[in-house]
Amino acid sequence: MTTHQTDMTDIASAKVTGYGISYAITSILSALLVILKEGNESVFQLMVSLTGHHWITHGVLDVLLFVVLGAVLSSRNITVSGNTLIASVVGSTIVSGLIIAGFFVI
Amino acid sequence: MSKEMILMLHPTFGVLAMIAAVWVFVEALNASDGNIARLRRVSVLATVLLWCAYIVGGYWYVIYYGGDKAIIKAGPWPFAHSLAMETKEHLFFTLLLLGTFLPIAAYGDVVKKKVTRNLVLWTSALVVLMGLAMEGAGALIGMGVKVALLAKLI
Repeated sequence: MTTHQTDMTDIASAKVTGYGISYAITSILSALLVILKEGNESVFQLMVSLTGHHWITHGVLDVLLFVVLGAVLSSRNITVSGNTLIASVVGSTIVSGLIIAGFFVI
Repeated sequence: MSKEMILMLHPTFGVLAMIAAVWVFVEALNASDGNIARLRRVSVLATVLLWCAYIVGGYWYVIYYGGDKAIIKAGPWPFAHSLAMETKEHLFFTLLLLGTFLPIAAYGDVVKKKVTRNLVLWTSALVVLMGLAMEGAGALIGMGVKVALLAKLI
């Protein structure tokens, strides 16, 4: 006999949902930023000028976006089904990977 | 500390982070009131190790990689930079964010909510798979330097 019962409600907590969606959005935007900065010299130079290296700026922007978006979305109590949330996290990981690798292959 | 030692710390932290993520995956498979505290502690450990890999690797990349980059591009495996390094340095952000999300999910109701447990399983599995990809890309980059230096000797 188990000491707990599994809650079959297909919804994660507001914090987990908020940061999960934030991760999905940030990872896709991060991949798109790769294309933008590598294809546009002025964007690349702007990112260099902000921190001294485009990669450092990219990382700072990613972390800031993830944290801020996660905090905002968590506070809004967004309701997303569990399967949709998992698909968003897994799907955005695969898509962002394909965008980045595909860009440098081509 | 020599720059070679700094470089070696990067994959070391990465491998340790992967081991921690595997540990989280196994704990999540058997999540209960008895192991939830350990699951959460190990998820934080995985994140800390990933951030250590990021900071150490990032420091080496920004300060020292320029020399290796020039060697690779002049050698027979230029794709070790143009494909492997470029993809690795940018995909690492996705892995870092995913690793940061792992303890957030782990501090949810993993024991009682199946959806949260599945999310922890998927997230930890992706951290491991992406970590393996990073290790593979790192090996390609190292080999790119090696074949370029060997080509100079011939």
